[in-house]
Amino acid sequence: MSIERIDSELCTGCGICVNSCPMDVIRIDRESKKAVIKYPEDCMCCDYCELDCPVDAIYVSPEKYAPLMVSWC
Amino acid sequence: MSSEVVIETDVLVIGGGTAGCFAAIKAREQGLDVTIVDKAYAGKSGAGIAASGAWSVFNPEWGFDIDTSMNEINKSGEYLNNRKWSEIILKESWDTYQDLISWGVEFPQADESMDFLKKRFKKQHRQDFPRLAVGLVRLKHRKTTPFLRKQAEKVGVKIIDRIMVTDLLKQNGKVVGAVGFPMESYKLYVFKAKATILCAGRNGFKPPGMQISEITGDADGMAYRAGAELTGKEFPDMHTSLAIAPAWKSNGELYVAYWHYTDAEGKPITCAGMDLSAAAVIHAGRGPVLWDLDSATPEDLQAMEAYKRKRGNPVEVERIGLDPRNGGKYQLTGGASAGGWEEQAGGIWPVDTKCATSLPGLYVAGDCCCTWCWGATVGTPWGLTPAAVTGKRAGMGAAEYALHEDKPVIDRQELTGLIKILFEPAERPGGFSPRWVTQLLQNTMMPYFILHIKHEKRLLAALTVVEFLRDYLVPKQTANDPHELRLAHETKNMVLNAEMILRSSLFRTESRGHHYREDYPEKDDPAWLAWIKIRKERGSMKLWKEPVPKKWRPDPSKPREDKYYPRWFTTE
Repeated sequence: MSIERIDSELCTGCGICVNSCPMDVIRIDRESKKAVIKYPEDCMCCDYCELDCPVDAIYVSPEKYAPLMVSWC
Repeated sequence: MSSEVVIETDVLVIGGGTAGCFAAIKAREQGLDVTIVDKAYAGKSGAGIAASGAWSVFNPEWGFDIDTSMNEINKSGEYLNNRKWSEIILKESWDTYQDLISWGVEFPQADESMDFLKKRFKKQHRQDFPRLAVGLVRLKHRKTTPFLRKQAEKVGVKIIDRIMVTDLLKQNGKVVGAVGFPMESYKLYVFKAKATILCAGRNGFKPPGMQISEITGDADGMAYRAGAELTGKEFPDMHTSLAIAPAWKSNGELYVAYWHYTDAEGKPITCAGMDLSAAAVIHAGRGPVLWDLDSATPEDLQAMEAYKRKRGNPVEVERIGLDPRNGGKYQLTGGASAGGWEEQAGGIWPVDTKCATSLPGLYVAGDCCCTWCWGATVGTPWGLTPAAVTGKRAGMGAAEYALHEDKPVIDRQELTGLIKILFEPAERPGGFSPRWVTQLLQNTMMPYFILHIKHEKRLLAALTVVEFLRDYLVPKQTANDPHELRLAHETKNMVLNAEMILRSSLFRTESRGHHYREDYPEKDDPAWLAWIKIRKERGSMKLWKEPVPKKWRPDPSKPREDKYYPRWFTTE
């Protein structure tokens, strides 16, 4: 659903994904110093974090967190 | 909520997308101290980062001439375009293209040109492509705005990321900065500026199919509350996406390279990609609208493959299992951009060509600046080029203004009031969650029969709900952390925008461009060659008509078919 996982084994804690997310979904965890998915319900499936991650640690699914309201049918 | 950070600057730019970066660079080039503030990360936020279409460029060497292009914009814009601005955007587009090249932006194909589009359109629809005002240079997905940030940093613009600005600061009727808070803590940020440029984009109700859910009408909300004039809210945007994964907009974007839609019975739908035709089919009960890949020729498949490569996003199509070579009929869904409106229609009214607003000290650029350059219908040219052109002009205008201004003194009383409003949701022990209020707003506003196929009765019904959200739920929103505080302010701005959209749609008792009223299906030239303007007056929303200058109106004695293109759709 939306942003599905950040692989903590691969994540280097560089923080690029935090800045790539216009929706403020990802944060760096204070203890582990790695990126964590903090607000998945606000993910807009833009994929920018996954595209920007230098170590391919992120997977974004095309499905939204909750069913969408769309304008037709 | 105790600590306070004060930032002083000559020119404050709110929003670091295409317009914001162009504005900041231009103001900085005048030797001023310039600061960009962005609620996300400048260069990676805004509509520009999602753009993968084209930069529109007017170039006489590509076979365009100014009179033909202007006539085209006037006609397709159905005479609501501001001709001064249409001409400025055309004439200054080339410079913005050259700026981008000099700052390192690569264009995968210099001139895919209109010939290609024209040929394809003609083949599929057996008629001429309707709008031919400018040429196009293809963009790569996510490869423009990061270069703008780099250039801004290079010339010495200060950039402050991840601060949500909530309101403008005023002193003696002048705008002298803004207030906001960071995503990570309840700190107060006070920006003191001689001039402020709003570049925070247009509205949208966190739309499902367009990756611009951070664009929540914040600029319009702030400007409205500060007393500025707004306009153009009745013209909605028309993007669609694929029903198999509506949020995964980019997959659906392949249909840009292949237009072939049918209704449920297989009857082709004639449309220009982004207009009301498909919504009308849905309304007539002939839906769903299908994207018919079974009819794609090898040539079409090649065009789609080439388009995919040019966009440069490797994961998008494969992940939902879409392979055009396998054919199939894919259901489309509307509202990809629900609640947004056409680029350059719907936003703050610039009072002059320097992008000043009706409030001294406040300038505006980009999608939140309603220049009316394309009129009532979005044609081939989208918002990127106007964002750059208005950005440059606003940067210049704000710099000229700031040069003659003294350092602002902040009115403590006004500041105290804004701080209270800013942190209120965080201090409330209980109430309504902003996510829930947003969902209610989406459910009210998004259906095609509110935003697209309009009728007085339905608009009034929606307005009743929106007024309730405004009066009862929005003031009682609660936030558990700064992230949710951002959501609360975004929701407030979206609800305000919904009210402006509904009131403008009710006010315009005719149909024109993308504004379609089922109860007033015809154009009413005598009454409605006019723009609707909006302003807050004594606490409520005032709307009035601003007539289009007489010399810009079509000759009333001319037959209708000479003045206007035929409408593409019928609701029968």
